[in-house]
This record gives sequence, C-alpha cells and structure tokens, in this order.
Amino acid sequence: MALDTSIPVLVVDDYKTMIRIIRNLLKQLGFEDVDEASDGTEALGKMKDRRYGLVISDWNMEPMTGYELLKQVRSDSSLAKTPFIMVTAESKTENVIAAKKAGVNNYIVKPFNAPTLKSKIEAVFGD
Amino acid sequence: MSNMSADHVAKVIAFLRNERKPEDVSLEDVMQLAELMAEGFQQFFKSMDLSVYSELGAMAREIANMKDELCRLNLTDMRNEHIPMAGRELDAIVEATEEATNTIMSAAEEIMGADPNEIDAFQVLVGEKVTEIFQACSFQDITGQRISKVVTTLNALDKRITTLVDKLKIMKIADLPAEESEAEKRARDLMLHGPQFKGEGVSQDDIDALF
Repeated sequence: MALDTSIPVLVVDDYKTMIRIIRNLLKQLGFEDVDEASDGTEALGKMKDRRYGLVISDWNMEPMTGYELLKQVRSDSSLAKTPFIMVTAESKTENVIAAKKAGVNNYIVKPFNAPTLKSKIEAVFGD
Repeated sequence: MSNMSADHVAKVIAFLRNERKPEDVSLEDVMQLAELMAEGFQQFFKSMDLSVYSELGAMAREIANMKDELCRLNLTDMRNEHIPMAGRELDAIVEATEEATNTIMSAAEEIMGADPNEIDAFQVLVGEKVTEIFQACSFQDITGQRISKVVTTLNALDKRITTLVDKLKIMKIADLPAEESEAEKRARDLMLHGPQFKGEGVSQDDIDALF
C-alpha cells in the first residue's frame, strides 16, 4: 500500500533549523501539508484546532516537552489515536522504553536521513 | 594549695563512692578535696586558654595564606575577562553555524525547487548554489579556531581550580548535595541530556528492535 502523503503533518521542535530540515525531508517524501509548532503547548493548541494525520516531535522543549505532549495526546480521547513519532538527539534505552510505554508509535535518533524518516513513517502506517 | 597526700585523696574518693567510713574522712578532708579539684580545674582552664589561643592564631595564619593563594590564582581576570570571552566565542559559534546552515539549506531548497526541464538555467543555478554551499562550509575553519580558544580557557580554569583545591586541601571534604531549584528538578526528571558520544547510547537499529 502506498504511503498517503496527503495527510497533514505537525512537526514540533524548538529549533527552527530542525523544523526546516524535517519539512524538506517530508517534502522529498511527498508530504506537502506540513505545519509546525515550537513546543508541546503550542502543538497541543494546534492539535485541538486541526486533526493531524501524523505528529513528529522533538523531546527537549520548554515549557512542555515532547514526552509530556505525547502523554497529553494519549490521555485526550479526541487526539489519542494520532500517530506520534519522537525524534531526539539522545538515545538511552530507558527513554525509548518510557516513550513507548507512553504510547509513541516510533522513535528516531538525530541525525537521520530521508530513508530513515520514510521507513519509520511507513512502519507507523503499517506499510 | 592543698597539702593532701595521694593516699589521703584516695580515701576521700572512696568515701564519696559510698564506701563511707566516718572515722577515715572528716568534713575538712572533703573541703580540701574540693579545693584540690578547683586547683586542678584552674590548671585545665589555663592550658585550654593557651591551646585555644594558639589554635585561633593558626587559623588566622591559614586564612591569610588562603587569601594569598587566591590572589595568586588571578581569579578576577578569569571572571572578568576569560570566561565572558569564552561565552562570546560560543555565541559566535552558534551564530556562524546557524548562518552557514541557513545558507546551505536555502541553496539546497532553491535547487530542489528549480525546474530540471529547463536544462541550461538549471545547470547555471546548480553551479551557483553549489559554490555558495562550498563557501558556507568555511564556517568549519572559523568555528574550529573559536572552539580552540574556548578549550584553552577551560583548561586554564581547570588548572586554577585544581591548584586551589590542592592548596586548600579540600578534596577530603565530602561534597554537600547541591540545592536543586524547581527548574533543575524538572530538567532532571523530564529533559534528555542531549547528543551522546560515538559508542554511547543505543543505535537506531537497537531502538527499532524495541518496536
């Protein structure tokens, strides 16, 4: 099954350059409808206004981290099923396990490339 | 000064310890013992005064020595000059890398957005943008030099702190737990600690195996 690239994607990162990188990688993969937020609080606000088909979020952000955003999303029945990929520069097993327990669909370590991003998105959607 | 013999003192003490034999000890004996004890305490306090005085003197000399050592470490120029300078170097590094990244990404975005069917125009554009990318990469040389300056400052700081610790002989003192602010506690509980070095942490393949 081909990847549905028409879904709106929300990229959450407090580092503008990283948002730009992910946006360009997504563009290469065919995703044109990409929105952005600079932390969990802004992302949660946007998610309540619009239904996103995928959230790609950094972990380290203030005032709300990506991990806190994930837990908020999973505890809100209207958002709970939104596919969520965590992207971090640190790769400790305990953090990956914590994110998995909180309901993350996949986890990418920075730096990453387009094929890695593509394979994780495909894994999330079961392709 | 009491003129009681040691034998006599022992008898009075035995009496006071309930082995009381009135024929051995008189009220005068007890009073003499009290006098003897008072004399003993006087000697004790005198010697204590002297030892406390000499201890305080030693402490004052030690404090003066520490002050001299601190002056010799030139901590003021470290605080007023070197550390602020290192901060400015790091800010400049962040700025330079950000600028270079933006230049490179803009060039790449222009190439991505160009129409490859317009072959001549596309070739000219790619040539120009590739040159821009090469030029932007020169940030690595400049930031490398700035990083060297910061490393030199950190090494100097490390040397001075080590010297201070040696002089003050404070390594044997156990570190007290630092008081943690709310923000520090939140950072410890919820934030990750950033990129790891090669060989540390788990790989993307290891993470994939968990899903």
